[in-house]
Amino acid sequence: MRYIARRLGLFLVTLWAALTVNFIIPRVMPGNEATAVLATFRGVNPAALHALEIEFGVNIHQNIVLTYLQYIANCFTGQFGVTAERNPVITEIMGKLPWTLGLVGVTTVLAFAAGTLVGAVSAWRRGGHLDAILPPLLFIVASFPVFFVGLLLIFAFGVTLNWFPLASNYSIGATPSFSLSFIGDVLDHAVLPGAALVIVTAGLWIYSMRNNMISTLAEDYVKMGRAKGLPSWRIMFDYAARNAILPNLTGFAMQLGYVLGGSILIEYTFSYPGLGYLFYTSTTDHDLPLMQALFLFYTFAVLICVLLADLLTAGLDPRTREA
Amino acid sequence: MDTGMTSTPRGACRGIGHQLTRSVRFLTLAVAIVIVAACGSSSSGPTASAVPGKVGGKLIVDNESGSTWTCQFNPFNPAVNITSIGFVYEPLEFVNILQTNPDGSAKVTPWLATASSWSSDYETLTFTIRSGVMWSDGKPFTANDVVYTFNALKADAALDLNALWASDKGPLTSVALQGTDQVVFTFNSPAQSYFYYVADQTPIIPQHIWGSLDQTKLDSQADTNPVGTGPYLMSNCSQNNIKYLRNPHYWQATPGHPVPQVQEVDYPAFLSNTPANLELAQGQAQWGAQYIPNIQSYYIAKDPAHRHYWFPPTLNVSLFPNLTNPLLSNLAVRQAIAMAINRSQVSQRGESGYEPAANQTGIVLPTYQSWYHKSLDTVTYNPSMAEHVLQAAGFTKNSSGIYQNAQGKPLSFTIKTISGYTDWDASLQVITQELKAVGINVTVQDEDSDPYTTDTQGGNFQLAYGEMPVAGPGPYYELRQLLFSGNIGSTNYSRYSSAQTDALINQYSGATVAQQQQIVQQLSTVMATDIPVIPVTEGVDWYQYDTTSFGGWPTQSDPYAQPPVWAYPDNGVVLTHLYPLG
Repeated sequence: MRYIARRLGLFLVTLWAALTVNFIIPRVMPGNEATAVLATFRGVNPAALHALEIEFGVNIHQNIVLTYLQYIANCFTGQFGVTAERNPVITEIMGKLPWTLGLVGVTTVLAFAAGTLVGAVSAWRRGGHLDAILPPLLFIVASFPVFFVGLLLIFAFGVTLNWFPLASNYSIGATPSFSLSFIGDVLDHAVLPGAALVIVTAGLWIYSMRNNMISTLAEDYVKMGRAKGLPSWRIMFDYAARNAILPNLTGFAMQLGYVLGGSILIEYTFSYPGLGYLFYTSTTDHDLPLMQALFLFYTFAVLICVLLADLLTAGLDPRTREA
Repeated sequence: MDTGMTSTPRGACRGIGHQLTRSVRFLTLAVAIVIVAACGSSSSGPTASAVPGKVGGKLIVDNESGSTWTCQFNPFNPAVNITSIGFVYEPLEFVNILQTNPDGSAKVTPWLATASSWSSDYETLTFTIRSGVMWSDGKPFTANDVVYTFNALKADAALDLNALWASDKGPLTSVALQGTDQVVFTFNSPAQSYFYYVADQTPIIPQHIWGSLDQTKLDSQADTNPVGTGPYLMSNCSQNNIKYLRNPHYWQATPGHPVPQVQEVDYPAFLSNTPANLELAQGQAQWGAQYIPNIQSYYIAKDPAHRHYWFPPTLNVSLFPNLTNPLLSNLAVRQAIAMAINRSQVSQRGESGYEPAANQTGIVLPTYQSWYHKSLDTVTYNPSMAEHVLQAAGFTKNSSGIYQNAQGKPLSFTIKTISGYTDWDASLQVITQELKAVGINVTVQDEDSDPYTTDTQGGNFQLAYGEMPVAGPGPYYELRQLLFSGNIGSTNYSRYSSAQTDALINQYSGATVAQQQQIVQQLSTVMATDIPVIPVTEGVDWYQYDTTSFGGWPTQSDPYAQPPVWAYPDNGVVLTHLYPLG
């Protein structure tokens, strides 16, 4: 219990620190989106500028402590203001979130499952064909940047073979619905970016699973299992893999937190309209409210996942609870 | 962050949100000042397309927007108005910056107004409002809507982006109804140069809808269901596509002569150039506003009979010397730089010839041909003369072949430019070599557009490469932005200040067309003798069109409107001209 309370406390402190940093940074950056919007018009109309600044909530010369408290309150009620396009920030984020969760979330789970399985099997059959090819190959590929793999896939399967679309989340002119044809269209568009992500991330899971598995296989209880004449698949999964997966599981929980942030490169490469792309455009547009909300969103997601990983470890491994 | 998937040259992305500032800048290219002196435009309506009676077809528009649609259509929100003005909302009169009357003034077509006239002192402007026009919800459009629209700009300063009202430093003091169908605009000084903003750039909104909203917050209205007078009705909007259907009760239609003739227009949101260009190359989209590298092989060659492009230039891409720099404040140095640059080489090698070479008088050709005087265009490519000028001014070559002044300060400068504008980088490479050849050393420094804007406006640079944010309604506007001392701190990057030039510029709004020609000539002379700015190439509008299924496109021989879909209200003019074929 003390462990959990300590973790929760740490979580709250980190969250508060993140919120505060997120409050300060945009305020010390030069320029703001109101000036960015107006910079390009003939002259700068001071009245229009002031009206826009009020709307964007920048430069409004009110008590900083009051502003800060308001900001904290707004964070908890989800009121992040409007983007430079005057769309509510929360609408913008919620509109993109399903695409990122769908693409990057699903591929992270896939990469984890496939990587862990391959890692376990290749450690079991150490020196076999599988072990000789997949782990080294994928480990090399894992060191490529994801956009590079994405570009290779685009070139091979999009441009040259013309099997898959090059960009976007569904075909131009298609109307979103739950029809089979639309879902098929979405999947068709997700294949290449998804494949790029799986290829790049699976290697790390294989690597860590294989190493854990090898050290677990040397344990006495595995030898015991063999001595008892248990079927090898049972030793492999119930005795070895079950223990070896622990570090991978906590790693996975943390990885999920990075899913949101890590999607920027792949979404940019594939012009995929998710949170990552939104983050990219918000930076280039100097869209402070949007940037701020996204930063917060990412930080929150990572913190939550770290907390979950801690709790998960505590649940799975009694030793950590004592610490 | 640039993953190198495609290079993104300047102007390739001009849409919504993403590169907002750039988009706005390009939108306002459409600007044309109306120079019509005491103009009483004819009261005939605009003429539309040639194939009578036929309605149908689905037109797909292709313009990289950089982000998905927000499905807001507020015509006063610069982030979304390119999807509502021209389609749904219309202005009083249409000013075509690409077509001039014989005297050089821009061509004006009556739109929601049937006529307009200035008082002799150019301080009162009267519009006669068209009768028989309906809002798309069936209510009649009246002169009251016009009065309401302009007064709404006064009530909510954030709508008054062009600073028309005196409270926003503009010259406008009142807008009032006269009789039943006339609207009178009163200015506190001669205001001809504001005609364009009043008549062409301000979309008219319905009082019966907007009048009941909070008048101080009109700029933040989402306007998800826009009601306008325009040729199209917004039928359906999703993040990825906007679908417009023709307005069956559009005011330009007459019995047996439907306007518009294209049944459906789709406007997909393209996040990047590659998919947008692909859509054009595959023949799925017909109206493009895209930068396409190797356009001949990538686009035209796939169907040369039907695919065309036309890139009309509208403003200069220039080298700005910072006149507060002790070396660059020396006229001889600026002359040498201007003479050392082979502009057609830069155009060919840096811009693949798509953007033509500029000239030192600052008049964009061929667009503003009637304002150009060859005799004033005296500073042309002449590298040996450039060195001669430097030597005559007391500069000597140092051991590394760079000229230096008597104090031993070498002519060595940095040029600031915007990173990611790959065509500008290529142009600057050519410029660097050419300057090196006459003993001037320059280094290119790429910057993000935000710090670049701050630096150029604030004078924190030696040389800068770029173009004006708001381009030319006639050459006067660009020249005013470049040379007016009141614009130091904003568009007068060079920090050029001359009382004589300021006086010339101030006379323009109250001058006749003939006098305006004189003024622009004198400004061209300033450009050629003082070299406050060095125009190098001319920025163009990217525009592709496919004549397989639709006709009536604007072309070089019939430049009836600015052709890219983001140019408003020109896009509405194009839409009323297009017709389905076959």
